[in-house]
Amino acid sequence: MPISWLREYVETAVPPDEVAERLHMAGTEVDHIERTGAWGDKVHVGRIEALEKHPNADKLQLATVGYGDGRRKTVVTGAFNISVGDVVPYAETGAEIVDGHTGERTVLRPRPMRGIVSEGMVLSAKELGLGDDHEGILLLDKALRVGAPLRDVLGETIVQFEIAPNRPDALSVLGIAREASAILAAPLRQPALEPLTYRLDPALLSVRIEDPDACPRFAAAYLTDVAIGESPAWMQQRLRAAGMRPIDAVVDITNYVMLELGQPLHAYDAERLRGRALVARLARHNETLRTLDGVDRILRPSDLLIADEERPLGLAGIMGGEDSEIRATTTTVALECASFEPRRVRRTTEAHALHGSSGSAAARRFGLDLSPDLVPIALARAVHLLREHTGARVVGATDVYPRPRQVPNVRLRFSDIGRVLGADVGREEAVDALRRLGFAHAELGDQLVVTPPAIRTDIAIPEDIVEEVARIVGYDRIPVRVPTGVLPLHERHPLEQLRERARDALVGFGLQETISYALIDPAWLERLTPDGSPIAPEPLPLANPTSAAQSILRPTLRASLLDTASRNVKHRRGVAIFEIDPVYLARRGDLPEERWTIGILVAGQAEPVRENETWLTAERDWDWHDILGLARGLADALGLGQFDDQTRRPAAGLHPARSYGIEHRGRVAFTIGQLDPRVAAMWELPQTTYLAEIDLASLLDVQRPPQAVTPPRFPAAWRDLAFVVDEAVAWAGVMHEIEAAGQKAGLEQVALRDVYRGPQAGEGKKSFAVRLTFRSATGTLSDADVDKAIARIEGRLRHRFGAAVRAP
Amino acid sequence: MRAEDLSELAGRAEAEIAAAPDEAALDALRVRYAGRREGEITKAMKRLPALPAGERPAFGAAANAARERIEAALERRTAALRDAALQRDLAAAAVDLTLPPRRVRIGRYHPITRTIREISRIFAGMGFEAVEGPEVEWDYYAFEALNIPADHPARDKFSTLWVQAEGSMEVALAATGAGRARAATGQPDRILLRPHTSPMQIRVMEQRRPPVRVIVPGRCFRFEATDPTHESVFFQYEGLAIDEQLTMADLKGVLYSFARQLFGGERKVRFRPDYFPFTEPSAEIAFDCFACDGTGVTNEGKCRTCAGSAWIEAAGCGMVHPDALRRVGYDPSKYQGFAFGGGVERLAMLLTGTVDIRLFHQNDLRYLESV
Ligand SMILES: [Zn+2]
Repeated sequence: MPISWLREYVETAVPPDEVAERLHMAGTEVDHIERTGAWGDKVHVGRIEALEKHPNADKLQLATVGYGDGRRKTVVTGAFNISVGDVVPYAETGAEIVDGHTGERTVLRPRPMRGIVSEGMVLSAKELGLGDDHEGILLLDKALRVGAPLRDVLGETIVQFEIAPNRPDALSVLGIAREASAILAAPLRQPALEPLTYRLDPALLSVRIEDPDACPRFAAAYLTDVAIGESPAWMQQRLRAAGMRPIDAVVDITNYVMLELGQPLHAYDAERLRGRALVARLARHNETLRTLDGVDRILRPSDLLIADEERPLGLAGIMGGEDSEIRATTTTVALECASFEPRRVRRTTEAHALHGSSGSAAARRFGLDLSPDLVPIALARAVHLLREHTGARVVGATDVYPRPRQVPNVRLRFSDIGRVLGADVGREEAVDALRRLGFAHAELGDQLVVTPPAIRTDIAIPEDIVEEVARIVGYDRIPVRVPTGVLPLHERHPLEQLRERARDALVGFGLQETISYALIDPAWLERLTPDGSPIAPEPLPLANPTSAAQSILRPTLRASLLDTASRNVKHRRGVAIFEIDPVYLARRGDLPEERWTIGILVAGQAEPVRENETWLTAERDWDWHDILGLARGLADALGLGQFDDQTRRPAAGLHPARSYGIEHRGRVAFTIGQLDPRVAAMWELPQTTYLAEIDLASLLDVQRPPQAVTPPRFPAAWRDLAFVVDEAVAWAGVMHEIEAAGQKAGLEQVALRDVYRGPQAGEGKKSFAVRLTFRSATGTLSDADVDKAIARIEGRLRHRFGAAVRAP
Repeated sequence: MRAEDLSELAGRAEAEIAAAPDEAALDALRVRYAGRREGEITKAMKRLPALPAGERPAFGAAANAARERIEAALERRTAALRDAALQRDLAAAAVDLTLPPRRVRIGRYHPITRTIREISRIFAGMGFEAVEGPEVEWDYYAFEALNIPADHPARDKFSTLWVQAEGSMEVALAATGAGRARAATGQPDRILLRPHTSPMQIRVMEQRRPPVRVIVPGRCFRFEATDPTHESVFFQYEGLAIDEQLTMADLKGVLYSFARQLFGGERKVRFRPDYFPFTEPSAEIAFDCFACDGTGVTNEGKCRTCAGSAWIEAAGCGMVHPDALRRVGYDPSKYQGFAFGGGVERLAMLLTGTVDIRLFHQNDLRYLESV
């Protein structure tokens, strides 16, 4: 909105930037401020005094430009839209202009054109930075003072406001002016209105509302002797500044009034109305309409139409139809000014995908709660302008408003202002703020009864009044205070606590935390197993995804981890990452379960920590023992016991011989292993990719409170033991037997020192070397006690596994 | 031999001992001078009986003095030689102090995690309990209960992502105890990805009685084209406090304290009227820029943190709308309070100097290891 337009309605000497800032700080958000006319002293208003042919070129002519005080220059121009007497922008040599071809800013230099040096230039709109028009010279208003610096007559501050959806009253120049007048305490000037007589012969035009819920108010004016032509230059300029294309005087005036007052209007060629009627009604079954954009639309029964007695003329408040539009030959105009129920307008706009269409400026306003009280004002304003600029004669007007809307009286106490704001706002001050806003009020002791102006459809409750007062006195008046009062009791959050401890532990192990998109590509899920079979339940798809790559809620963290690793191994040799986030699992007729999951992934090179720095640490890749160690470390750090069911089950998508899953309460709670090499290849990951996935909630079940240990009083005894068993014998079973056999003798710890395969163990055999720690809680163990225990353990190993005990 | 000879002997021995180059030479000198059987002092003492009785005491004393001098010299030299040997060993153990270390693996939190923890910690200090809620939500909690019914124009601000339900787009709102009023209507409701954390205002109030003070961090979603300042998946923090006398001044105080603790220094806060359907009055809060101290300029010219505006817009806030209170069964004539909500990424970007919001979800380790 150009500030000069605003100044037509509000008288103030406050500079434009400050007006914008004060509006912004009082709730009318300023998106940005543009400035046209940053032209220097060398661009003037000029007048074409003579035109002659260029002696050496047919496509050029010489123009003599006078720019005041007898100054006169001859310029070469390729434009032919100028004639003697035209007022045009003229730039002297050295002026800064926009190059008409490149669009770059440039300084105008003397340059011979076909042998004649042009003394400056006459300029197109594009060369002034006023738009894209480079077809001809910009013709200025002939009333402008020739010789004046152009920036003084055309320079403009244009403010782009962002109006909140509860304030359709501010979606207009007058609406903003009303705000500015209240904020700056400056008087408001109303635009000139035509005094209308609401009397109209139904034989000429009648108006009917069939559904007063959908169309609460419908007014119209009947005008004859309309001369369709161009609207005045100033009006066209303002429409263009608002991003609207000037069409003809009648359409331009309806658009202008919409920008000025916020109320859209629609003009019909009255001769084309069948039955001389305008009817607001719902669409009938299978009714169709060709809208102005040339699209044939099948109407929905909930669409509100403006129709004549025979056919639909347009989608009410959204877009007109082709048949009844104003044409160059139109002389009789039926001007519609109505009020529509906003939700229906929004639904129809959406259903017919008319957002951003040519009718969207009207639809946008009708989609908000626009006051029906604007209807007669806008009609009177439009008729005034039509009479002034098209020679129209007003025959009559009509206004159908079956159930006038009541303006609410809001009751509050003066003390409510302090109660809500915590600020001390005096009674006088509050009343003054309301007066400036045009709110009527009555004081009854401590009570205040406030009646907002009808256009302020957002005001309903005492808090609304408090906000209005606060806006005008300034939110800066609200002091900074530390709240007092009783603090609520806080709850325990075991899952969140465990989750944060898990994060701490994994970061402590040197892993990098990642957070990836909760929305993923469904194709990823087909790349988690060699044959594309799923590893997780069916994911939840989005109804309106932004892209296929983010079209489902992830049912597993694995794909995200593989993707993150895959992208990072393109520029590094190893990754060690974890993510703790929910996975989303569908539930019938309910919100999905958001199951918090820990995912750990290590891949590629493990050491040295800094790539290639091998002087202390040899290079090695991550391996199975690492991932197992990370999982075990997490269990130790969180104080976890074992799941009841220790059965190791196959884990889909992982290396068949180097992975397993553990179930808890009937669902997989823990999965660990090497990534299936075929899957690794699909993601371009190293073969040495290992991962672990843990269902966080299941860990709550095995979490143990800390058990404090008092350091032992008596010394420990150690013995080394080595024995050969068949390759097939698993360590866990061996350890279990050793512990069982040594328990009574005070076996405290079994440490695996070596696993040996080779000639000394024999074909198909392996040797375990262990160190056993014994300790008694009641005294120092004797050698004899320990020897006895060792003998028992050896016996058990021989008996259970056929173990051959070797000399350690 | 006389007593004077003994002194001279001791002097000679001291000189030789002090000059002994190593332990072996020192051992030889010890035997020669201080040896129990053949040492010079022992030999001298053996002559004692042959001396006239009157000279014996003086000679004996001189011999003892000489022995003490020699032994002290031996001790000194032993210590000196050991010290020299130690110095040699230490010098031999010299390393190139500039070589790279045996590195440890450093794990790091994601900047979002760190920022959320910081937010929760600061608000915990003001009595706000951190709670979390569902990311996939009912339309009722996300919109309707917040005064944004279907077709309300405020919905345009929340470009919402919807979950595709089996069969139809609508499923019944489960009567799980939450959303009772809504569930009781038996009307179906739609499932969406919450576009803000504000649904938790309603969920928390449904489950608790005043006084309430909670801070809710969490993931949100919008139908949004991504660019350096927009993400389709992002995090917000939502604050809610309800009591009998909480005002906008308290809201300002809480956010002021937050800004000071988060950004440090004497921060200023600025309230500006704004519009949210679920608060009235509503405000947008801005902090004066910590990078340029609210001046808009730094040594390098226009401040890049606040784009020269001197203010950092941080959160939307306001007094909880009486309709929302009524909807959860709070009596608006007795209870009132405030709510606020802001973007976690915005704070993380300010605190870490991150210039592209997409970096948070891209998980490029080169970025994550730098913040
Ligand atoms: Zn700054």
